[in-house]
Amino acid sequence: MSRLRIQIGDLSKTFREGGREVPAVSRVSLDILDKEFVALVGPSGCGKSTILNMIGGLIAPSDGQVLIDGSAVRDVPRQVGYVFQKDTVFPWRTVTRNIALGLEYRGVAGPEQERRVAEAIRLAGLSGFEEAFPATLSGGMRQRVALMRTLIVEPEILLMDEPFGALDTHTKLGLHAELLALWEAKHQTVVFVTHDLSEAITLADRIVVLTRRPGKIKLIHEVKLPRPRDVIKLRETDEYAQEYSQIWRVLGEEFAPPEGGSAPLPAPPPGLARAKPALEQGGSADTGHAV
Amino acid sequence: MNEKLKINFWRLAILVVGVGAWEWLTGIKAVSKIPGLYFIDPFFISRPSKIVERFFYLNSDKVRLTLWQMLLSTVESTFIGFFVGVSTGFVAGLVLGRNDRLARIFEPYIIAFNSLPRIALVPLVTMIFGFGLLAKVVLAWMIVFFIVFFNTFQGARSVDPDLIHSARFLGAREGQIMRTVIIPSALAWTFASLTPSISFALIGVVIGEFIGGESGGGIGYLIISSLGTLNSADMMVSLIVLAITGIVMALGIKQVEMRLLRWRPEYQPKG
Ligand SMILES: Nc1ncnc2c1ncn2[C@@H]1O[C@H](COP(=O)(O)OP(=O)(O)OP(=O)(O)O)[C@@H](O)[C@H]1O
Ligand SMILES: [Mg+2]
Repeated sequence: MSRLRIQIGDLSKTFREGGREVPAVSRVSLDILDKEFVALVGPSGCGKSTILNMIGGLIAPSDGQVLIDGSAVRDVPRQVGYVFQKDTVFPWRTVTRNIALGLEYRGVAGPEQERRVAEAIRLAGLSGFEEAFPATLSGGMRQRVALMRTLIVEPEILLMDEPFGALDTHTKLGLHAELLALWEAKHQTVVFVTHDLSEAITLADRIVVLTRRPGKIKLIHEVKLPRPRDVIKLRETDEYAQEYSQIWRVLGEEFAPPEGGSAPLPAPPPGLARAKPALEQGGSADTGHAV
Repeated sequence: MNEKLKINFWRLAILVVGVGAWEWLTGIKAVSKIPGLYFIDPFFISRPSKIVERFFYLNSDKVRLTLWQMLLSTVESTFIGFFVGVSTGFVAGLVLGRNDRLARIFEPYIIAFNSLPRIALVPLVTMIFGFGLLAKVVLAWMIVFFIVFFNTFQGARSVDPDLIHSARFLGAREGQIMRTVIIPSALAWTFASLTPSISFALIGVVIGEFIGGESGGGIGYLIISSLGTLNSADMMVSLIVLAITGIVMALGIKQVEMRLLRWRPEYQPKG
């Protein structure tokens, strides 16, 4: 059996906001093996992004810890790549220059950089759009840029936060096939967050079901579908249907309204917004009291 | 006739009718027997024919400083004030925008200074910097600096933290984050302030020239000295030249801005 890659031990996170405490994650423990593809599923606001951010060293846990290759995560770990829930392609850079970012930061320049970027663009099916700015691309193309930009530096661990959340079903399926093909080639360790159960079954080796906020582990389910998987045909099989109903029986409870109450309130948008001082003035090109 | 042609036709028509009416109305006498009593007195608003005549006169060698030289002086001061204002405003905005403590320390001073009407500072600036080019540049700078400062400040603060995080995951060090994320994000805001800045730089310079006297020169000086000689034709020449200059400069900067921000959705070519 493979070695342990990520150890999550008794991980908790409580956000403090103006005297109010928001427990987001509660005592989550999980061991992730090398080359494993793990999906985290759960209702919106249950702490999926928060868990991923703690694995990636962006948020410090309130309690417990995350070990990667045996050492505690403090800052952004070197061997980790992260594809964000939000579109983080740099709008002022062309496709080529976006994909080249990681190489640029690492000092890989010249023909070596060109070769690897060209290869990545070909793999992502973005040929012909090398010099396009992100504003001219579709959402699916932008996500492919984000994915290739992360993969080009060959991270051994890949954290993905609902990377295809904003896309339509067909585009999604296409990207699932591409992601699986890329993963079959390199076998990164993947932690993939989603609230789409079919996406989780299609991609993952193991599915971790979280409860409503504060997120606790409700179920860890082994997906027994053989690989390599055909993302389209898979959905028509009985095994897929079985996996789906097994998990949904548990996950569905988390989407039902709590007893005696109405549906849970929508969570406030996450983010690390800083307090704004009065210096900030509204609108762009503000001329203030110019004259 | 297509839409564009129609619009241009009407624009031209308004110009011709307007200028024609101006010329005609200032030429007819209100009471025919009394000399000098016009229906509309050209003493105050001059006449197009007179303005054209003065335009050529002011460009001839019969005057000590030609209109062209005055214009150059105004444009030169505007551009110097603009560039100094943009660069200092950008640096200050970036530094304070990325440093919470510094921003908090300087906040009351910046707000106080920015609340002061810039015109009120003209005599003081003249006292300190004299009547020449320097005072005009300083006035333009004082206006441009704050426009650019506030925009860059806001831009530097509103850098998307997830862009910074994703750069970090791609292996960026602090200096690389500054160069590839923070500065480009902030620059988008800075560039958007360039077009208003050039217009306000011109205002600052003209105000400076009102006070600067002959040694300062410039179109503003021509306007004020025309007031001294009650010469409305020269004033009209100055105003028209100034309007054209302002438009040309603003359009030029707009072109630069569009070139620099061509990655933005609103500057993408349509269709
Ligand atoms: N920086 C923060 N400050 C305060 N509360 C936060 C912060 N970030 C997240 N939260 C809260 O923690 C909870 C979990 O948020 P998180 O973003 O992890 O949810 P999620 O499972 O990723 O949801 P979604 O599927 O909608 O992305 C939410 O209730 C949210 O309001
Ligand atoms: Mg999330």
